[in-house]
Amino acid sequence: MIERFKQRSTEVKIGISLIVVSILLSLIGKKNLWEIIQSNSQVILKILFLSMIAVGISTIVHFIVPEDFFKKYLRQNKLIYLFTATLLGILTPGPVYAIYPIVVLLKKEGINNAILVSYITGQTIVGPARIPFEVGLFGLNFFIYRVILSLAMGVAAGFLYSAISKVFPDEK
Amino acid sequence: MQLVLRYFFYQTRKTLFLVGAGLLFALTLSSFIDEHMVDALKQNISVPLQILYAELIGFVSPGPRYILYPLLATLHDYGIGTGVIVALISGHVLIEPSTFFVEIGFFGYRFPLKRFFISLVVTFLAGLLTTFLID
Repeated sequence: MIERFKQRSTEVKIGISLIVVSILLSLIGKKNLWEIIQSNSQVILKILFLSMIAVGISTIVHFIVPEDFFKKYLRQNKLIYLFTATLLGILTPGPVYAIYPIVVLLKKEGINNAILVSYITGQTIVGPARIPFEVGLFGLNFFIYRVILSLAMGVAAGFLYSAISKVFPDEK
Repeated sequence: MQLVLRYFFYQTRKTLFLVGAGLLFALTLSSFIDEHMVDALKQNISVPLQILYAELIGFVSPGPRYILYPLLATLHDYGIGTGVIVALISGHVLIEPSTFFVEIGFFGYRFPLKRFFISLVVTFLAGLLTTFLID
């Protein structure tokens, strides 16, 4: 059984682990799992519906934006491009693992690590697939504020990385 | 078109399983939180510390990006500040223990170490700024 579990994809392993932890938590909590599901049925349906919209948005971005789009615009190796890097990060859909091949390629081509940090920051903290969740649960103003804040955070992260690297440089 | 639909259904299946499992986890965790607990937390812990705790909780929280939303909605309903919510969302995704090791493998240990420190600072400042601007 353990061998079969090991052969599963990362998503399935995480999913199964979360279900097991939920069952264990419900055993020590005040409500059992069925009561939790029943009392939150509306939230569950809403989130699952929003998830489907999120997948729809990711699919559109995946097929509309060419694969080399992000590589093309991040090749410009100047700190002034921290903003562009953050913006491109925000536009890149998918889990963080999906962008590591792009990041590694850019690194090999000599792109500044500060720009890569801005790109990773933008990609992780906000993204197209988050729109339905954040607009649906907290409103449009919250999401617009988060996008603006994320742009500032990405640029700040890149600048800080550059500053710290002067006293604690990267490995060669 | 067939390719697009196949991609969409594959991603939907994968996402719904993961989000469903994540939802179950987040809702089970939410069942431990009540209004009195949140009130006590708000009264006993200052806002900057709440933000710091939120981002640290975010850093160690497992699972995919979207699982925190039901928990965040519960906290929001109980009156937790937007600054704390922003810190939780950002903290959850900026650095994950698993990506930390992936980055060591690709770039050496200094890159994720610096990114971890910077993420802590930037998320904390973002939480504080949000508290001043919105809360």
